[in-house]
Amino acid sequence: MRIAFVIQRYGLDISGGAELECRLTAERMMKYFDTEVLTTKAFDYITWRNHYLDDEEVINGVLVRRFPVVRPRHPGRFGRLQDYLLSHDHTEEEELRWMDEMGPLVPDLIQYIKLNEEAYDYFIFFSFRYYPSYWGVRTVPGKSILVPTAERDPVIGLRIFHDLFRLPRAIVYNSVEEREMINAISGNEHIPSDVGAVGIEIPPSFSGEAFREKYRLEGPYILYLGRVDENKGCAELFSHFLRFQKETRSDLKLVLAGSTVMRIPHHPDIIYLGYIGEEDKFSALEGAELLVMPSIYESLSIVTLEAWAVGTPVLANARCDVLKGQCLRSQGGLFYENYLEFREALSLLLQSDRLRQALGENGKKYCRANYTWDIIEKKYLSLFETLEKSKRS
Amino acid sequence: MSPNNDAAPGNNLPIEIDYDNIDVGRIMEAIKSKVAQEVGRETDETLTESPGTASGTPQAAETDSLSEQAGRRTGMKRLLLRIMSPFAPLIKLVILPVYEEQRQTLLSLHNTNKRLDALVSMLHEEIEKNNRNREYTKLLHHLVHNIVVEMSKLKIEEETLKTKTRLMEKDFEILTKRERALEKEIFK
Repeated sequence: MRIAFVIQRYGLDISGGAELECRLTAERMMKYFDTEVLTTKAFDYITWRNHYLDDEEVINGVLVRRFPVVRPRHPGRFGRLQDYLLSHDHTEEEELRWMDEMGPLVPDLIQYIKLNEEAYDYFIFFSFRYYPSYWGVRTVPGKSILVPTAERDPVIGLRIFHDLFRLPRAIVYNSVEEREMINAISGNEHIPSDVGAVGIEIPPSFSGEAFREKYRLEGPYILYLGRVDENKGCAELFSHFLRFQKETRSDLKLVLAGSTVMRIPHHPDIIYLGYIGEEDKFSALEGAELLVMPSIYESLSIVTLEAWAVGTPVLANARCDVLKGQCLRSQGGLFYENYLEFREALSLLLQSDRLRQALGENGKKYCRANYTWDIIEKKYLSLFETLEKSKRS
Repeated sequence: MSPNNDAAPGNNLPIEIDYDNIDVGRIMEAIKSKVAQEVGRETDETLTESPGTASGTPQAAETDSLSEQAGRRTGMKRLLLRIMSPFAPLIKLVILPVYEEQRQTLLSLHNTNKRLDALVSMLHEEIEKNNRNREYTKLLHHLVHNIVVEMSKLKIEEETLKTKTRLMEKDFEILTKRERALEKEIFK
Protein backbone atom coordinates (compact mmCIF):
# COMPACT_ATOMS: atom_id res chain seq x y z
CA MET A 1 0.00 0.00 0.00
CA ARG A 2 1.13 3.55 -0.69
CA ILE A 3 0.18 6.15 1.89
CA ALA A 4 0.62 9.92 1.92
CA PHE A 5 0.63 11.96 5.12
CA VAL A 6 -0.57 15.53 4.53
CA ILE A 7 0.41 18.21 7.02
CA GLN A 8 0.83 21.99 7.10
CA ARG A 9 4.52 21.90 8.18
CA TYR A 10 7.05 19.11 8.44
CA GLY A 11 10.62 18.91 9.66
CA LEU A 12 12.89 17.78 12.47
CA ASP A 13 13.15 21.34 13.74
CA ILE A 14 9.39 21.90 13.94
CA SER A 15 8.02 21.54 17.45
CA GLY A 16 4.23 21.76 17.04
CA GLY A 17 2.25 18.90 18.61
CA ALA A 18 0.30 17.86 15.49
CA GLU A 19 3.43 18.13 13.33
CA LEU A 20 5.37 15.93 15.75
CA GLU A 21 2.54 13.40 15.88
CA CYS A 22 2.46 13.29 12.06
CA ARG A 23 6.22 12.86 11.74
CA LEU A 24 6.43 10.11 14.35
CA THR A 25 3.45 8.25 12.87
CA ALA A 26 4.82 8.53 9.31
CA GLU A 27 8.20 7.20 10.43
CA ARG A 28 6.48 4.27 12.17
CA MET A 29 4.18 3.44 9.26
CA MET A 30 7.23 3.18 6.97
CA LYS A 31 7.71 -0.35 8.35
CA TYR A 32 4.43 -1.50 6.82
CA PHE A 33 3.72 0.73 3.83
CA ASP A 34 5.30 2.84 1.13
CA THR A 35 5.04 6.16 3.00
CA GLU A 36 5.39 9.74 1.80
CA VAL A 37 4.70 13.16 3.24
CA LEU A 38 3.01 15.99 1.32
CA THR A 39 3.58 19.34 2.97
CA THR A 40 4.44 23.00 2.46
CA LYS A 41 7.72 24.90 2.37
CA ALA A 42 6.68 26.85 5.48
CA PHE A 43 8.43 26.77 8.83
CA ASP A 44 6.76 29.61 10.72
CA TYR A 45 3.15 28.89 11.67
CA ILE A 46 2.22 32.57 12.04
CA THR A 47 3.06 33.78 8.52
CA TRP A 48 3.61 30.48 6.63
CA ARG A 49 6.44 32.14 4.70
CA ASN A 50 8.35 29.73 2.41
CA HIS A 51 11.46 28.61 4.27
CA TYR A 52 12.55 25.23 2.92
CA LEU A 53 14.18 25.43 -0.53
CA ASP A 54 14.02 21.85 -1.83
CA ASP A 55 10.93 20.44 -3.50
CA GLU A 56 11.78 16.98 -2.23
CA GLU A 57 13.91 15.64 0.60
CA VAL A 58 14.21 12.52 2.72
CA ILE A 59 13.79 12.93 6.48
CA ASN A 60 14.52 9.87 8.64
CA GLY A 61 13.85 7.64 5.63
CA VAL A 62 10.52 9.25 4.65
CA LEU A 63 10.20 11.02 1.28
CA VAL A 64 8.89 14.56 1.83
CA ARG A 65 7.36 16.51 -1.08
CA ARG A 66 7.14 20.23 -0.41
CA PHE A 67 4.82 22.69 -2.15
CA PRO A 68 5.20 26.48 -2.07
CA VAL A 69 2.86 28.75 -0.10
CA VAL A 70 1.51 31.20 -2.70
CA ARG A 71 0.57 33.93 -0.22
CA PRO A 72 1.91 34.32 3.33
CA ARG A 73 -0.58 34.95 6.12
CA HIS A 74 -1.19 38.50 7.29
CA PRO A 75 -1.68 37.97 11.05
CA GLY A 76 -3.51 41.27 11.60
CA ARG A 77 -5.99 40.75 8.77
CA PHE A 78 -6.52 37.15 9.78
CA GLY A 79 -7.09 38.09 13.44
CA ARG A 80 -9.64 40.76 12.51
CA LEU A 81 -11.53 38.41 10.22
CA GLN A 82 -11.57 35.67 12.86
CA ASP A 83 -12.83 38.08 15.54
CA TYR A 84 -15.56 39.23 13.17
CA LEU A 85 -16.63 35.67 12.35
CA LEU A 86 -16.73 34.62 15.98
CA SER A 87 -18.81 37.56 17.12
CA HIS A 88 -21.15 38.23 14.17
CA ASP A 89 -23.62 36.42 12.06
CA HIS A 90 -21.83 35.63 8.81
CA THR A 91 -22.00 33.70 5.56
CA GLU A 92 -20.29 30.53 4.45
CA GLU A 93 -18.39 32.55 1.85
CA GLU A 94 -16.81 34.57 4.65
CA GLU A 95 -15.84 31.35 6.38
CA LEU A 96 -14.17 30.15 3.19
CA ARG A 97 -12.31 33.45 3.02
CA TRP A 98 -11.23 32.80 6.62
CA MET A 99 -9.90 29.40 5.50
CA ASP A 100 -7.83 31.10 2.76
CA GLU A 101 -6.51 33.58 5.32
CA MET A 102 -5.80 30.79 7.79
CA GLY A 103 -3.66 29.02 5.16
CA PRO A 104 -1.12 27.83 4.44
CA LEU A 105 -2.35 28.60 0.94
CA VAL A 106 -0.93 25.75 -1.17
CA PRO A 107 -3.13 25.16 -4.23
CA ASP A 108 -0.32 23.17 -5.87
CA LEU A 109 -0.52 20.61 -3.07
CA ILE A 110 -4.26 20.15 -3.63
CA GLN A 111 -3.68 19.95 -7.39
CA TYR A 112 -1.02 17.29 -6.83
CA ILE A 113 -3.44 15.24 -4.71
CA LYS A 114 -6.12 15.59 -7.39
CA LEU A 115 -3.83 14.50 -10.22
CA ASN A 116 -2.19 11.67 -8.29
CA GLU A 117 -5.19 10.26 -6.47
CA GLU A 118 -4.80 6.89 -8.17
CA ALA A 119 -1.13 6.60 -7.17
CA TYR A 120 -1.96 6.45 -3.44
CA ASP A 121 -4.19 4.10 -1.48
CA TYR A 122 -4.83 6.49 1.39
CA PHE A 123 -4.14 10.09 2.34
CA ILE A 124 -3.83 10.80 6.08
CA PHE A 125 -4.64 14.45 6.79
CA PHE A 126 -3.48 16.05 10.05
CA SER A 127 -5.14 19.11 11.71
CA PHE A 128 -8.64 19.81 10.42
CA ARG A 129 -8.36 23.60 10.57
CA TYR A 130 -5.73 24.20 7.91
CA TYR A 131 -6.11 24.67 4.17
CA PRO A 132 -4.32 21.44 3.08
CA SER A 133 -6.59 19.25 5.23
CA TYR A 134 -9.82 21.12 4.50
CA TRP A 135 -9.46 21.08 0.71
CA GLY A 136 -7.52 17.81 0.66
CA VAL A 137 -10.29 15.83 2.36
CA ARG A 138 -12.80 17.40 -0.05
CA THR A 139 -10.63 16.45 -3.04
CA VAL A 140 -10.22 12.77 -2.14
CA PRO A 141 -12.91 11.97 0.46
CA GLY A 142 -13.00 8.28 -0.43
CA LYS A 143 -9.30 7.83 0.27
CA SER A 144 -8.88 10.17 3.20
CA ILE A 145 -8.25 9.49 6.86
CA LEU A 146 -8.49 12.56 9.07
CA VAL A 147 -6.56 13.12 12.29
CA PRO A 148 -8.37 16.28 13.42
CA THR A 149 -6.18 17.23 16.45
CA ALA A 150 -9.13 19.42 17.46
CA GLU A 151 -9.23 21.44 20.65
CA ARG A 152 -12.31 22.97 22.18
CA ASP A 153 -11.76 26.34 20.56
CA PRO A 154 -14.53 28.40 18.95
CA VAL A 155 -13.51 27.99 15.29
CA ILE A 156 -14.64 24.38 15.38
CA GLY A 157 -18.18 25.79 15.41
CA LEU A 158 -17.78 27.32 11.92
CA ARG A 159 -20.28 25.87 9.46
CA ILE A 160 -17.65 24.84 6.90
CA PHE A 161 -16.31 22.26 9.33
CA HIS A 162 -19.61 20.53 10.10
CA ASP A 163 -19.71 18.38 7.01
CA LEU A 164 -15.91 18.08 6.82
CA PHE A 165 -16.04 15.55 9.65
CA ARG A 166 -18.66 13.53 7.75
CA LEU A 167 -16.57 13.21 4.58
CA PRO A 168 -13.47 11.09 5.30
CA ARG A 169 -13.36 7.31 5.15
CA ALA A 170 -12.08 7.18 8.72
CA ILE A 171 -11.03 9.42 11.60
CA VAL A 172 -8.29 8.94 14.18
CA TYR A 173 -8.99 11.00 17.29
CA ASN A 174 -6.44 11.92 19.92
CA SER A 175 -8.74 11.54 22.89
CA VAL A 176 -12.18 10.38 23.94
CA GLU A 177 -13.16 14.00 24.63
CA GLU A 178 -12.16 15.06 21.12
CA ARG A 179 -14.29 12.29 19.64
CA GLU A 180 -17.29 13.27 21.78
CA MET A 181 -16.95 16.92 20.79
CA ILE A 182 -16.72 16.20 17.05
CA ASN A 183 -19.55 13.66 17.21
CA ALA A 184 -21.71 16.29 18.89
CA ILE A 185 -20.84 18.95 16.32
CA SER A 186 -21.19 16.93 13.14
CA GLY A 187 -23.16 13.79 14.04
CA ASN A 188 -20.51 11.64 12.33
CA GLU A 189 -20.77 8.58 14.57
CA HIS A 190 -21.15 6.36 11.49
CA ILE A 191 -17.62 7.14 10.24
CA PRO A 192 -15.15 4.39 11.29
CA SER A 193 -12.85 5.79 13.95
CA ASP A 194 -10.43 5.02 16.73
CA VAL A 195 -8.68 6.93 19.49
CA GLY A 196 -5.00 6.79 18.59
CA ALA A 197 -2.44 9.56 19.25
CA VAL A 198 1.25 8.69 19.65
CA GLY A 199 3.53 6.27 21.39
CA ILE A 200 5.83 7.65 24.07
CA GLU A 201 9.47 6.65 23.98
CA ILE A 202 11.83 7.56 26.77
CA PRO A 203 15.56 7.93 26.12
CA PRO A 204 17.85 5.22 27.55
CA SER A 205 19.53 7.55 30.02
CA PHE A 206 18.30 10.60 31.87
CA SER A 207 18.67 11.86 35.41
CA GLY A 208 16.85 14.42 37.46
CA GLU A 209 19.91 14.93 39.65
CA ALA A 210 22.16 15.61 36.65
CA PHE A 211 19.59 18.11 35.37
CA ARG A 212 19.59 19.94 38.72
CA GLU A 213 23.37 20.10 38.68
CA LYS A 214 23.54 21.23 35.06
CA TYR A 215 21.13 24.10 35.58
CA ARG A 216 22.10 24.76 39.23
CA LEU A 217 18.63 24.19 40.57
CA GLU A 218 18.22 23.92 44.30
CA GLY A 219 15.11 22.92 46.17
CA PRO A 220 11.84 21.62 44.79
CA TYR A 221 10.53 22.81 41.45
CA ILE A 222 7.44 22.44 39.32
CA LEU A 223 7.93 22.26 35.59
CA TYR A 224 6.24 23.76 32.56
CA LEU A 225 7.33 22.40 29.17
CA GLY A 226 6.30 23.83 25.83
CA ARG A 227 5.78 27.19 24.18
CA VAL A 228 5.51 29.97 26.77
CA ASP A 229 2.43 31.62 25.35
CA GLU A 230 -0.69 33.34 26.66
CA ASN A 231 -2.75 30.99 24.50
CA LYS A 232 -1.22 28.12 26.44
CA GLY A 233 -2.43 29.57 29.75
CA CYS A 234 1.01 30.78 30.86
CA ALA A 235 -0.15 34.26 31.95
CA GLU A 236 -2.64 32.65 34.34
CA LEU A 237 0.03 30.21 35.52
CA PHE A 238 2.42 33.07 36.39
CA SER A 239 -0.32 34.91 38.24
CA HIS A 240 -1.36 31.80 40.22
CA PHE A 241 2.24 30.84 41.00
CA LEU A 242 3.28 34.31 42.18
CA ARG A 243 0.17 34.57 44.37
CA PHE A 244 0.91 31.11 45.77
CA GLN A 245 4.48 32.13 46.58
CA LYS A 246 3.27 35.34 48.21
CA GLU A 247 0.81 33.47 50.40
CA THR A 248 2.91 30.44 51.31
CA ARG A 249 6.48 31.85 51.12
CA SER A 250 7.72 28.41 50.03
CA ASP A 251 11.08 27.72 48.40
CA LEU A 252 9.32 26.25 45.37
CA LYS A 253 10.54 27.25 41.90
CA LEU A 254 8.67 27.33 38.62
CA VAL A 255 10.98 26.08 35.86
CA LEU A 256 10.02 26.79 32.25
CA ALA A 257 11.55 25.22 29.15
CA GLY A 258 10.65 25.83 25.52
CA SER A 259 10.35 28.72 23.11
CA THR A 260 8.66 31.91 24.25
CA VAL A 261 6.27 34.38 22.65
CA MET A 262 5.35 36.35 25.77
CA ARG A 263 7.08 38.29 28.50
CA ILE A 264 8.10 36.14 31.47
CA PRO A 265 7.83 37.96 34.84
CA HIS A 266 11.14 38.82 36.50
CA HIS A 267 11.00 36.90 39.76
CA PRO A 268 13.69 34.88 41.53
CA ASP A 269 11.36 31.87 41.76
CA ILE A 270 10.59 31.75 38.03
CA ILE A 271 13.43 30.20 36.05
CA TYR A 272 13.36 30.14 32.26
CA LEU A 273 15.78 27.74 30.60
CA GLY A 274 14.94 28.27 26.92
CA TYR A 275 14.89 25.34 24.52
CA ILE A 276 16.26 22.09 25.97
CA GLY A 277 17.08 18.79 24.22
CA GLU A 278 15.20 15.47 24.47
CA GLU A 279 17.44 13.99 27.18
CA ASP A 280 17.31 17.15 29.26
CA LYS A 281 13.55 17.23 28.86
CA PHE A 282 13.11 13.79 30.43
CA SER A 283 15.70 14.62 33.10
CA ALA A 284 13.77 17.79 33.92
CA LEU A 285 10.56 15.78 34.17
CA GLU A 286 12.15 13.23 36.45
CA GLY A 287 13.59 15.88 38.73
CA ALA A 288 10.37 17.88 38.99
CA GLU A 289 7.86 17.56 41.79
CA LEU A 290 5.17 17.71 39.13
CA LEU A 291 4.43 18.95 35.63
CA VAL A 292 2.00 21.84 35.43
CA MET A 293 -0.21 22.11 32.32
CA PRO A 294 -2.13 25.41 32.34
CA SER A 295 -3.38 25.21 28.74
CA ILE A 296 -7.10 25.24 27.95
CA TYR A 297 -6.69 24.26 24.31
CA GLU A 298 -5.19 20.79 24.06
CA SER A 299 -6.25 17.86 21.95
CA LEU A 300 -3.70 15.50 23.49
CA SER A 301 -0.68 17.08 25.27
CA ILE A 302 2.26 14.79 24.49
CA VAL A 303 4.28 16.36 27.28
CA THR A 304 1.69 15.21 29.84
CA LEU A 305 2.10 11.66 28.60
CA GLU A 306 5.90 12.04 28.76
CA ALA A 307 5.63 13.17 32.38
CA TRP A 308 3.57 10.12 33.22
CA ALA A 309 6.00 7.90 31.29
CA VAL A 310 8.73 8.84 33.78
CA GLY A 311 6.39 8.65 36.77
CA THR A 312 5.88 12.37 37.38
CA PRO A 313 2.39 13.51 38.40
CA VAL A 314 0.57 16.32 36.61
CA LEU A 315 -1.34 19.38 37.75
CA ALA A 316 -3.61 20.37 34.85
CA ASN A 317 -6.11 23.05 33.99
CA ALA A 318 -9.57 21.54 34.45
CA ARG A 319 -11.04 23.93 31.90
CA CYS A 320 -9.37 21.75 29.26
CA ASP A 321 -11.68 18.74 29.23
CA VAL A 322 -9.05 16.55 27.52
CA LEU A 323 -6.49 17.11 30.30
CA LYS A 324 -9.13 16.65 33.00
CA GLY A 325 -10.35 13.48 31.32
CA GLN A 326 -6.81 12.14 31.01
CA CYS A 327 -6.16 12.84 34.72
CA LEU A 328 -9.35 11.02 35.71
CA ARG A 329 -8.74 8.06 33.40
CA SER A 330 -5.11 7.65 34.41
CA GLN A 331 -5.54 8.64 38.07
CA GLY A 332 -2.20 10.31 37.45
CA GLY A 333 -2.81 13.96 38.26
CA LEU A 334 -4.93 16.63 39.88
CA PHE A 335 -6.55 19.62 38.21
CA TYR A 336 -7.76 23.13 39.02
CA GLU A 337 -10.30 25.62 37.73
CA ASN A 338 -9.28 28.71 39.70
CA TYR A 339 -6.57 30.01 41.97
CA LEU A 340 -7.97 28.54 45.18
CA GLU A 341 -8.13 25.07 43.67
CA PHE A 342 -4.64 25.57 42.21
CA ARG A 343 -3.34 26.48 45.66
CA GLU A 344 -5.04 23.55 47.41
CA ALA A 345 -4.07 20.96 44.79
CA LEU A 346 -0.47 22.20 44.59
CA SER A 347 -0.14 22.32 48.38
CA LEU A 348 -1.51 18.82 48.71
CA LEU A 349 0.86 17.48 46.07
CA LEU A 350 3.90 19.25 47.50
CA GLN A 351 3.11 18.10 51.00
CA SER A 352 2.68 14.43 50.25
CA ASP A 353 5.53 12.47 48.65
CA ARG A 354 3.32 9.41 48.80
CA LEU A 355 0.54 11.05 46.82
CA ARG A 356 2.96 12.26 44.15
CA GLN A 357 4.50 8.81 43.92
CA ALA A 358 1.13 7.06 43.70
CA LEU A 359 -0.14 9.46 41.02
CA GLY A 360 3.13 9.12 39.09
CA GLU A 361 2.91 5.31 39.20
CA ASN A 362 -0.70 5.40 38.00
CA GLY A 363 0.33 7.70 35.15
CA LYS A 364 3.16 5.36 34.20
CA LYS A 365 0.81 2.36 34.07
CA TYR A 366 -1.71 4.33 32.00
CA CYS A 367 0.98 5.35 29.56
CA ARG A 368 2.24 1.78 29.15
CA ALA A 369 -1.28 0.49 28.60
CA ASN A 370 -2.31 3.08 26.01
CA TYR A 371 0.58 5.03 24.55
CA THR A 372 3.28 2.67 23.30
CA TRP A 373 4.06 2.50 19.60
CA ASP A 374 3.07 -1.18 19.42
CA ILE A 375 -0.44 -0.25 20.51
CA ILE A 376 -0.71 2.80 18.24
CA GLU A 377 0.63 0.91 15.21
CA LYS A 378 -1.88 -1.89 15.82
CA LYS A 379 -4.68 0.65 15.91
CA TYR A 380 -3.68 2.13 12.55
CA LEU A 381 -3.21 -1.32 10.99
CA SER A 382 -6.57 -2.49 12.25
CA LEU A 383 -8.20 0.65 10.82
CA PHE A 384 -6.60 0.04 7.42
CA GLU A 385 -7.78 -3.59 7.57
CA THR A 386 -11.36 -2.47 8.27
CA LEU A 387 -11.25 0.00 5.38
CA GLU A 388 -9.82 -2.58 2.98
CA LYS A 389 -12.50 -5.10 4.00
CA SER A 390 -15.28 -2.59 3.44
CA LYS A 391 -13.70 -1.65 0.09
CA ARG A 392 -13.77 -5.32 -1.02
CA SER A 393 -17.33 -5.88 0.14
CA MET B 1 -6.17 -0.17 52.57
CA SER B 2 -4.48 2.49 54.62
CA PRO B 3 -6.34 5.76 54.61
CA ASN B 4 -4.19 8.66 55.72
CA ASN B 5 -4.94 12.23 56.43
CA ASP B 6 -3.11 15.07 54.77
CA ALA B 7 -3.96 18.68 55.28
CA ALA B 8 -3.08 21.25 52.64
CA PRO B 9 -1.86 24.56 54.07
CA GLY B 10 -4.83 26.45 52.64
CA ASN B 11 -6.83 25.63 55.78
CA ASN B 12 -6.93 23.07 58.54
CA LEU B 13 -9.54 20.69 57.18
CA PRO B 14 -7.97 17.32 56.35
CA ILE B 15 -8.33 15.55 53.00
CA GLU B 16 -8.56 11.81 53.33
CA ILE B 17 -6.50 9.91 50.78
CA ASP B 18 -6.49 6.17 50.31
CA TYR B 19 -2.97 5.74 48.93
CA ASP B 20 -3.51 2.11 47.95
CA ASN B 21 -6.44 3.02 45.78
CA ILE B 22 -6.03 6.60 44.62
CA ASP B 23 -9.25 8.21 43.42
CA VAL B 24 -8.51 11.56 41.75
CA GLY B 25 -12.22 12.34 41.45
CA ARG B 26 -12.72 12.05 45.22
CA ILE B 27 -9.59 14.08 45.98
CA MET B 28 -10.81 16.83 43.67
CA GLU B 29 -14.25 16.79 45.29
CA ALA B 30 -12.59 17.17 48.69
CA ILE B 31 -10.46 20.07 47.41
CA LYS B 32 -13.50 21.77 45.91
CA SER B 33 -15.51 21.45 49.13
CA LYS B 34 -12.54 22.81 51.13
CA VAL B 35 -12.32 25.79 48.80
CA ALA B 36 -16.08 26.35 49.02
CA GLN B 37 -15.98 26.27 52.84
CA GLU B 38 -13.06 28.69 52.88
CA VAL B 39 -14.82 31.12 50.57
CA GLY B 40 -17.95 30.91 52.72
CA ARG B 41 -15.98 31.56 55.92
CA GLU B 42 -14.16 34.55 54.41
CA THR B 43 -17.45 36.04 53.27
CA ASP B 44 -18.96 35.64 56.76
CA GLU B 45 -15.90 37.28 58.33
CA THR B 46 -16.06 40.21 55.94
CA LEU B 47 -19.71 40.74 56.72
CA THR B 48 -19.05 40.64 60.47
CA GLU B 49 -16.13 43.04 60.20
CA SER B 50 -18.04 45.52 58.03
CA PRO B 51 -18.84 48.95 59.57
CA GLY B 52 -21.77 48.92 62.05
CA THR B 53 -25.00 49.01 60.19
CA ALA B 54 -27.51 48.22 62.94
CA SER B 55 -27.85 48.90 66.64
CA GLY B 56 -26.78 46.11 68.99
CA THR B 57 -23.60 45.22 67.04
CA PRO B 58 -20.15 45.79 68.65
CA GLN B 59 -19.68 48.70 66.29
CA ALA B 60 -22.94 50.22 67.50
CA ALA B 61 -21.86 49.79 71.16
CA GLU B 62 -18.54 51.44 70.39
CA THR B 63 -20.35 54.31 68.72
CA ASP B 64 -22.46 54.69 71.87
CA SER B 65 -19.38 55.02 74.10
CA LEU B 66 -17.83 57.49 71.71
CA SER B 67 -21.03 59.47 71.70
CA GLU B 68 -20.77 59.81 75.45
CA GLN B 69 -17.25 61.22 75.05
CA ALA B 70 -17.65 63.33 71.99
CA GLY B 71 -21.18 64.55 72.62
CA ARG B 72 -22.77 66.31 69.73
CA ARG B 73 -20.42 65.06 67.00
CA THR B 74 -21.04 61.45 67.92
CA GLY B 75 -24.74 62.14 68.14
CA MET B 76 -24.63 63.21 64.54
CA LYS B 77 -22.81 60.01 63.65
CA ARG B 78 -25.45 57.94 65.40
CA LEU B 79 -28.16 59.81 63.58
CA LEU B 80 -26.40 59.18 60.27
CA LEU B 81 -26.03 55.48 61.07
CA ARG B 82 -29.70 55.28 61.97
CA ILE B 83 -30.62 56.95 58.70
CA MET B 84 -28.35 54.55 56.81
CA SER B 85 -29.66 51.44 58.58
CA PRO B 86 -32.39 50.69 55.98
CA PHE B 87 -29.63 50.56 53.38
CA ALA B 88 -27.57 48.07 55.40
CA PRO B 89 -28.21 45.08 53.07
CA LEU B 90 -27.17 47.19 50.07
CA ILE B 91 -23.99 48.35 51.83
CA LYS B 92 -23.21 44.75 52.77
CA LEU B 93 -23.63 43.74 49.15
CA VAL B 94 -21.34 46.51 47.94
CA ILE B 95 -18.52 45.68 50.35
CA LEU B 96 -18.63 41.93 49.61
CA PRO B 97 -15.33 40.86 48.07
CA VAL B 98 -15.59 40.10 44.36
CA TYR B 99 -13.03 37.54 43.45
CA GLU B 100 -11.05 37.75 40.28
CA GLU B 101 -12.01 34.18 39.40
CA GLN B 102 -15.69 34.95 39.80
CA ARG B 103 -15.29 38.05 37.66
CA GLN B 104 -13.55 36.05 34.97
CA THR B 105 -16.20 33.35 35.13
CA LEU B 106 -18.92 35.98 34.85
CA LEU B 107 -17.16 37.57 31.90
CA SER B 108 -16.78 34.25 30.16
CA LEU B 109 -20.43 33.40 30.92
CA HIS B 110 -21.45 36.78 29.54
CA ASN B 111 -19.55 36.12 26.31
CA THR B 112 -21.01 32.64 26.10
CA ASN B 113 -24.48 34.07 26.64
CA LYS B 114 -23.96 36.59 23.86
CA ARG B 115 -22.85 33.86 21.51
CA LEU B 116 -25.74 31.64 22.61
CA ASP B 117 -28.19 34.50 21.97
CA ALA B 118 -26.80 34.85 18.47
CA LEU B 119 -27.03 31.09 17.96
CA VAL B 120 -30.60 31.00 19.29
CA SER B 121 -31.68 33.73 16.85
CA MET B 122 -29.97 31.77 14.07
CA LEU B 123 -31.77 28.64 15.25
CA HIS B 124 -35.11 30.46 15.10
CA GLU B 125 -34.36 31.59 11.56
CA GLU B 126 -33.43 28.04 10.63
CA ILE B 127 -36.65 26.72 12.20
CA GLU B 128 -38.68 29.26 10.20
CA LYS B 129 -36.85 28.29 7.05
CA ASN B 130 -37.49 24.66 7.87
CA ASN B 131 -41.20 25.29 8.37
CA ARG B 132 -41.40 27.11 5.07
CA ASN B 133 -39.60 24.25 3.37
CA ARG B 134 -41.95 21.76 5.00
CA GLU B 135 -45.00 23.63 3.63
CA TYR B 136 -43.41 23.86 0.22
CA THR B 137 -42.65 20.14 0.27
CA LYS B 138 -46.28 19.43 1.23
CA LEU B 139 -47.49 21.52 -1.71
CA LEU B 140 -45.12 19.75 -4.03
CA HIS B 141 -46.38 16.43 -2.71
CA HIS B 142 -50.01 17.41 -3.44
CA LEU B 143 -49.02 18.63 -6.87
CA VAL B 144 -47.24 15.39 -7.69
CA HIS B 145 -50.21 13.41 -6.34
CA ASN B 146 -52.64 15.35 -8.56
CA ILE B 147 -50.40 14.94 -11.57
CA VAL B 148 -50.32 11.16 -10.99
CA VAL B 149 -54.15 11.05 -10.72
CA GLU B 150 -54.54 13.09 -13.92
CA MET B 151 -52.03 10.93 -15.75
CA SER B 152 -53.92 7.80 -14.66
CA LYS B 153 -57.19 9.28 -15.96
CA LEU B 154 -55.53 10.16 -19.25
CA LYS B 155 -54.14 6.65 -19.54
CA ILE B 156 -57.61 5.15 -19.02
CA GLU B 157 -59.05 7.56 -21.57
CA GLU B 158 -56.32 6.62 -24.02
CA GLU B 159 -57.16 2.92 -23.57
CA THR B 160 -60.88 3.63 -24.11
CA LEU B 161 -60.12 5.61 -27.26
CA LYS B 162 -57.88 2.82 -28.53
CA THR B 163 -60.69 0.30 -27.98
CA LYS B 164 -63.16 2.61 -29.73
CA THR B 165 -60.74 2.96 -32.67
CA ARG B 166 -60.39 -0.81 -32.93
CA LEU B 167 -64.21 -1.20 -32.94
CA MET B 168 -64.53 1.48 -35.61
CA GLU B 169 -61.88 -0.24 -37.71
CA LYS B 170 -63.86 -3.49 -37.49
CA ASP B 171 -67.10 -1.66 -38.41
CA PHE B 172 -65.31 -0.09 -41.34
CA GLU B 173 -64.08 -3.52 -42.52
CA ILE B 174 -67.61 -4.96 -42.32
CA LEU B 175 -69.00 -1.98 -44.22
CA THR B 176 -66.31 -2.37 -46.91
CA LYS B 177 -67.17 -6.08 -47.27
CA ARG B 178 -70.86 -5.24 -47.45
CA GLU B 179 -70.18 -2.53 -50.03
CA ARG B 180 -68.27 -5.04 -52.19
CA ALA B 181 -71.06 -7.63 -51.85
CA LEU B 182 -73.68 -5.05 -52.85
CA GLU B 183 -71.59 -3.90 -55.82
CA LYS B 184 -71.37 -7.53 -57.01
CA GLU B 185 -75.17 -7.92 -56.78
CA ILE B 186 -75.77 -4.65 -58.69
CA PHE B 187 -73.42 -5.41 -61.57
CA LYS B 188 -74.63 -9.01 -62.10
